[in-house]
Parts: sequence; C-alpha cells; structure tokens
Amino acid sequence: MQSPVKVWRNQKNVAGLIGKTGFILSWTIVRVPPGGFTDQAPYPVALIELSDGKKITCQLVDYDENDLVFGQKVVTVVRRVTHPDGDGVIPYGIKAKPLV
Amino acid sequence: MKIYVTGSATTAFGELWNASPRGLARQAVFGALADAGIEIADVQALFVGNMLSGMLGGQEHLGAFFAEELGLTAPAFKVEGACASGGLALHNAVNSVMSGQYDTVVVLGIEKMTDHKPEDVATALMGAGSEEERSGGATFPGLYAMLARIHMREFGTTEEELAAVAVKNHYHASLNPNAQFHNTLSVEQVMKSSRIADPLKLLDCSPISDGAAAVVITSKKQKKAARRVEIAASAVATDSLGLAQRKTLTGLSATQQAAARAYNLSGMTANDINVAEVHDCFTIAEVLAMEDLGFFPKGKAAAAIAAGQTTVGKGGRIVVNPSGGLKGCGHPVGATGVKQIVELVDQLCGVAGKRQVEGAAVGLAHNVGGSGATSVIHILKK
Repeated sequence: MQSPVKVWRNQKNVAGLIGKTGFILSWTIVRVPPGGFTDQAPYPVALIELSDGKKITCQLVDYDENDLVFGQKVVTVVRRVTHPDGDGVIPYGIKAKPLV
Repeated sequence: MKIYVTGSATTAFGELWNASPRGLARQAVFGALADAGIEIADVQALFVGNMLSGMLGGQEHLGAFFAEELGLTAPAFKVEGACASGGLALHNAVNSVMSGQYDTVVVLGIEKMTDHKPEDVATALMGAGSEEERSGGATFPGLYAMLARIHMREFGTTEEELAAVAVKNHYHASLNPNAQFHNTLSVEQVMKSSRIADPLKLLDCSPISDGAAAVVITSKKQKKAARRVEIAASAVATDSLGLAQRKTLTGLSATQQAAARAYNLSGMTANDINVAEVHDCFTIAEVLAMEDLGFFPKGKAAAAIAAGQTTVGKGGRIVVNPSGGLKGCGHPVGATGVKQIVELVDQLCGVAGKRQVEGAAVGLAHNVGGSGATSVIHILKK
C-alpha cells in the first residue's frame, strides 16, 4: 500500500543516494515479478557496493546483457519505481545504470 | 528442566482448495492431542506460527481465532517471523514451559496460500524483506538467486548441483504420503524448467502451499503419550532484514550463530546429527544450510548432495530433508517450522515408513525467515 506521507518521507533517503558510483556484487533477472512490477518484467535486480562501502539492492536500467557481470561499474539514478496509486503520488526511487 | 514433544501431527500439504484454515487447524491440533493422549482442556497455552493471514486473508488476531475454533480459553498467541514463524512459535512455546509459567502447551503452524493469486502471494511474501528490496522490485527467488550466483563464483557450485537438491527432495517426497509432490524429478527436468530469477528455475523453488502442523510441548511425563522426544536445544539468531546490510554473502550468518548456540546448549556437534530437516526454500538454501550448520565445509556441500551423500537409504552420515523438505513436501510458510519437528519425531521414533532413516537418534530442524534475517534451530533426541 502506498502512502503519500511515506513517499514524501522517503525522498531524503532517495536524494542522498543519487549520482553515486559503485559496482555489481551479484545480480539476477526477475521474470516473475511482484505486484506493481508486472509491466517491467523481466528486469535485472543487482546487489551493488557503492564507493563509500554502503551496499544497496536495486533495479538496473539502461543496460545490455554484457553489463551483467561481476564488478561492472554503475552509477545510481532516480527513476519511477511503480505506477501511482489512487492518491496520484508518483513513487520515485533509486536504480542503477552501467557506466561505460 | 527437560522439555518434550509428546504429540505431533500434520495435515497433508498441497493445494487444499477444499480446506479452510479452521479445518486445517482442527485436524493438526486434535491429531497432536490424540497422539499425546490428552484433551484440549489440558492445554495451558496456544502458540500459532503464521505469516500471511493478515495480508492475504484479512484475518489477524489469530490466537483468539484458532482458540475459538479449538474450544480453548487459555492464553493464545500469534508468533510471526516470516517463513520462520513456525520455528519461532516453537521457540516461544519452549521458553514458556522452561519459565515454569505453563507445563503443557500446543504449537500450531499454519498457512493458507493457494486461495490467492501468485503475484499477490509474491507481494505478501516480500513483506519479509526490506523496504529497499521491495522498491527495487526484488522477489525472494531473486534474493536467493543473487546468493546462488555468489556461491557459484566463490566455490564453483554448478546449476546442475543445485538441481540435484530438488531431485533428492522430490525423491524423499515421493515416499511421504503427506507431501505436496509425489513425482520424482531428473536433473535435466529441473534444468529445463522455466526461469524464475536467473540462475534459479521453477524447479529450484519451493511451491506455494496450504497446510498445518501441530506439536504438544510439555515438561510433564504424560503417561498416555505413545512416544516422547526431548527438545535438547532451541536457539534463534537474527541478522539484517535486507541482503545488502549483511557482512557475509557466502552463507547465512544467522544460521551459523543459531547453530553454534544450539550445539552449545545440547552439548552436541554437527557430527552427532543423524537426520536434519532444513529450510530449502530454494535449492541454494539447502546448500548454504549444509555448510552453515557444519555438516560440510564451505564450498563442499553441493557436490556431496549431488553425490547422494544426504539421500535416504544411501548409507551417508546424515540424511537431509527426508520429508521432502520445502521443495517436495511443500511450504505453507507458517507451518513449515512445525512440520519439520513432526517429521523429526517420526524419524526418531522409527515410524517414518519408506523414508525412515536407519538408526536416527538425534535430529536437527532449521527454519529460516526471509533471506536469512531469522534463523531458528531445534535439536531433538530420543
């Protein structure tokens, strides 16, 4: 269940994670997605270690298959996570894209 | 104080569209009471292990819900720890008897999942993960798939070796009348099954299931009980909710810690265990469990499983998941941790039929919540 308050409260977490570089520790391709992600599947999800040592789990975007390797360098970006619900608030979050 | 299991019962596991949660609870609990030779009025407290009744069924307040159905006015509690809810309920039941507050209690593990659409179940199960994992579109197969990939890179574990876990557990399930699946599998069939979260395929994954299991826990000598098994250790450890916050990714630290505690409490080591029911929610999870529980060195379990060293009737040092495990017997999440105990009691009492482990004297149950945030271990002995 999305809550406008929750989305709003999460914005500072999202802002703090934008534009960070890191590398892929592991990855999968989700082919049977949870609700809210059905129109995106199949999509890769990766475990990423950022340059400050923090690790995050997020989707990969703007990738091609050759990018799905251990140690691939990535940068975090802001993207829409799923569809807005009845309240109309668009949930944004962090995803990562490969660095060329 | 010694704590015993004096009664145990499980329903069949599977797609039980004719059965309601109330009916499943009655079957499991009254089965366990009959086994122990006691009446519902002898039960001083009820511990219910369940994860999804609120998110899927819209029913909370499960202690009272099942107490009403069972005709019980004793204290009743729901214990939730994702897929470790059953094991966690048992841990709390054991503690309550150890404290002297009660001397005879019942643990009921139960889940009704197949009434709902798969994507709704997948979403509800992700309630066991972190917020970051949910907004990242991760699923539980996906999280274990990432652990599998790391294990494959570190230790050379292969997809065929992972498939062998499912093959073994389906073979065991084919010998278990209560199991969800009675068909055996080949490695090739697992390898050819549709991809769910690479490198995991459909037949690497435990199914969505309905079912219930119950045990009677007591410090008393119940004279009418047909059989009695001692709980030599009950241990729980907790790690971060999300994978990204873990210190190690080549195993589950919570399992390693809970195992150390359980071996210490029981005065036993991994070498003393003859039979184990472990949490194979995905094939990689059984490999991790074998290593984290100390049955095989890190990186050596997958090949040993594939070589049949943990299969019933093969003369190995230990048999793992004789019930069929979560993969073959089914995984109604809140019921699983209690069903593991029911299986071990049958094994230790020598009544497990075609899947009986010869000479089983000490058993270990390993129940995991989420991607390893909660790990519950029980050691049982005759």
